[in-house]
Amino acid sequence: MVIKDRELQVLPECSRPTLPGVVSERACVFYGARWMLAAIPDVIHLVHGPVGCAYYGRTVRRKSYRLLSTGLDERDIVFGAGDKLFNAIAASTARYPEARAVLVYVTCAAGLTGEDIAAACKRAAGETGRKVIPVNSPGFCGRSQATGHDIAAAMLLDYFIGTGRTRELIDNAVNILGEFDIEGDLNEIEKLLSRLGLRVNCAFSGRASTSAMADAHRARLNIIHCRRTGQTLADAMQERFGTPSLKVSFFGLAETASAMRAVGGFFGVVGVDEIISRAIQKAQNEAAPFLQRTAGKRVALFFGASRIGSMAKAFKELGMEVIMAGSQFGCRDDYREAEAKVANGAVLIDDAHDKELEELIHNQRPHLLVGGTKEKYLAHKMGVPFLVFPQEMGPFAGFRGFVNLARQAAGLVSGPVWRLAGV
Amino acid sequence: MKLTEIPVDGIPYDHLRIKKIPVTPAYAPRDQELLAASSRALVVNPDRICMPIGAMWAVLGVHRAIPFVQGAQGCTTYARYTFSRIFKEPATIATASFHEDAAVFGGRRNLVEGLRNLVVRYWPEVIGVVTTCSSEIMGDDIGAFIKEAREKLQAEIGPEKMAQITIVPVNTPSFAGSHVEGYDRAAKAFVQTLATRRDAPSNRVNIIPGLFYPGDIREIKHILREMGIESTILFDISDTLDAPLEPPQSIPYYPPGGTDVAEIKEMANAAASFALQPDAGGSGARFLERKFAIPAVVGPVPVGIAATDTLLQNLSNATGCSISPALRAERGRLVDAMADTFHHTMMKRVAVFGDPDYVAGITQFACELGMTPVAVSAGTESKSFAATVEATLSQYGHLFLDQPKVFNGGDLFEFEEYLKTLPRLDLIIGNSKGVDIARELEVPIVRAGFPIYDRFGYQKRPIVGYRGAELLLYEIANAVLDYRYPDDRTQQL
Repeated sequence: MVIKDRELQVLPECSRPTLPGVVSERACVFYGARWMLAAIPDVIHLVHGPVGCAYYGRTVRRKSYRLLSTGLDERDIVFGAGDKLFNAIAASTARYPEARAVLVYVTCAAGLTGEDIAAACKRAAGETGRKVIPVNSPGFCGRSQATGHDIAAAMLLDYFIGTGRTRELIDNAVNILGEFDIEGDLNEIEKLLSRLGLRVNCAFSGRASTSAMADAHRARLNIIHCRRTGQTLADAMQERFGTPSLKVSFFGLAETASAMRAVGGFFGVVGVDEIISRAIQKAQNEAAPFLQRTAGKRVALFFGASRIGSMAKAFKELGMEVIMAGSQFGCRDDYREAEAKVANGAVLIDDAHDKELEELIHNQRPHLLVGGTKEKYLAHKMGVPFLVFPQEMGPFAGFRGFVNLARQAAGLVSGPVWRLAGV
Repeated sequence: MKLTEIPVDGIPYDHLRIKKIPVTPAYAPRDQELLAASSRALVVNPDRICMPIGAMWAVLGVHRAIPFVQGAQGCTTYARYTFSRIFKEPATIATASFHEDAAVFGGRRNLVEGLRNLVVRYWPEVIGVVTTCSSEIMGDDIGAFIKEAREKLQAEIGPEKMAQITIVPVNTPSFAGSHVEGYDRAAKAFVQTLATRRDAPSNRVNIIPGLFYPGDIREIKHILREMGIESTILFDISDTLDAPLEPPQSIPYYPPGGTDVAEIKEMANAAASFALQPDAGGSGARFLERKFAIPAVVGPVPVGIAATDTLLQNLSNATGCSISPALRAERGRLVDAMADTFHHTMMKRVAVFGDPDYVAGITQFACELGMTPVAVSAGTESKSFAATVEATLSQYGHLFLDQPKVFNGGDLFEFEEYLKTLPRLDLIIGNSKGVDIARELEVPIVRAGFPIYDRFGYQKRPIVGYRGAELLLYEIANAVLDYRYPDDRTQQL
């Protein structure tokens, strides 16, 4: 944890293991793998582990996905479950014959019993005539869900991305990397890109069918929306297919505008500035009544990773003072970006656990806390309104998303409930 | 009923305006071999979670207690999400943060350092050490680790402060059972570790409610108050997982309430123990009976008239306290409500699913309402469930329109596919996992049981006792009405 100081410009230490015994906000590698892969529609997702992991893994970003499980029990742990896995794969492809591939998630239990899962998958692949791919994601094999993102990204690169036969580029196609289509964000981004005459080929992984991924190399540009999950994919695709990439953000007016300019500039689109200035004008008019309520209010941000920087800027556009920007597993670049966007005295914190968040809320008394569901009810108990970002009340991306953000933030900071609670 | 493929709960339709896309275009009869859960290696749509979360639930019902989960971060984080989504409350659960080194060297360092880190941050009165798949497979010697942790901690904070911290280990290898058994094991672990005999028997009773919600526990307390019975409720989540919002809040945040350690110690001197859910808590009551000869009354789940009658009679027998006129009046009002709604509930074909204890209780109440339980499914396999449900069904069998089918330990895929073969179904009673099934079959669903995460308020509304049954009855009757008479011009009762 550091406090921003213009002179020193220090960043918080990051990418460290979590201290045992704290109430961590981080999750496990399996969680990270599910985060990256859950939305891929036309494959079978099979969890090789006890039923619990499949139960939890079904819900990703507050949405429910189909998830099958081998449901390991005591016998399987003692005597091995290689055959069970094989039978489960066969049964799942019989149940969903239209699936193009089977993803087998390895959990702690399956990882520790030391079975040859790759061999079982290979055997099942021969038998079922499909790709059967192990996703090696036991919960303990990394420091946070970030490792799971990397494992999933590597798997996508190895087995799905750019496997289509046709090589030539599609003129107006782009991929979006690190965009998960939360609460309609992708629709907003897609609309903006269509104003530039562009078509989204594949969004990793909010909209990534196997055929779209197979054609991913035909896009002319990779737009990185979330650095944490998108950068590795972008680097690998640059190396393999020569696809250039741009890191942009669609959160906040200025960020969206510069994203539009950068992407428009890449494709040589004319008249981008005109579109932008009209859209900004309209958004500002619509957001104006809300900005009166948000002006001067203090906001604290605590996200997964990469969005702290761009969101800090978006909240500044609402006239709010960002007093804290923290993340569960952000990297140096994320904190550098955030550091540049918060005011002197703001707190930058990595891997904050519940107790630290509690103390920060207690001491800093923000008017609004923005983060995930786990932290929401603690904030409420301490009398601080909470915005679940981005899984609730969205979309927040694009110009219209900014108006919605203003609306949500204004509503929350001026809610009568907090006065009635005696805050 | 319309037979189309369910929008496999999986297809992400986050907005209503986004069309549901079925994976298979039209309903096709299933491969019979795949239908029965027992005959396939695959679990589809499980109706059970893992053992540790049941134990965490239990520990959260103890005063100033924090569960310490000896596993990877996900084992904690997923559970915290689940609690937050159901109770809309913060859940403080510590993680041992297993990384690769723990998988290689075992979890000793994580537990020893972790307990220390937890104590100096939160100063809890009780720590429930909950194990997971990974620590159990690695063979962590939890007892020895805790001993070492206590010694080190004592050297740091002194024996006085150490004496105020109770550590209870709960072994919950996730692969060996579901959340129901996790709760059960926690109940046993707590009385085994803490309950101590004094030569001063009391007239108090022990209540182990099982996986009932705060609203249910409040209703149980109401009954006990009405009868003038003093009790210890293990584990009392009625305040800890339904806490008032009263800022300013001192930190670290602890919710009010929860069962006191002193009370748990006294459980060895009670007049009787009542486990309201046989599968979730029964072991605790039976342990007290074996070790301290405290009579154990395990079940029945007090949902509906007969089961609540039995509970009240048993309470009265154990303590000599009488059933108050106010409670008799509540019973009368419930019976009155049943009579008034009977023409809407009778001969309705109902499907019930969920945790075995919930299902056993609700099935009996449904029979009392004159309904026909056509399909009854327990997500966790259970012997007591099979026996109870069989007894209920044979008692009311002469009223049934169809032969009931009982699934013991199946998944929801099996249950759903069976429902699709039925010529008629009027109602489903179960948890939130069945909402999609109900939509697909175009029958109403009444939410009851664990987990309910898609609607507000169910965790505060009881289904136990006479008043709880009355509320559940209105849910059932109104669901039937909403479905049969959607137009308000035909709804003149």
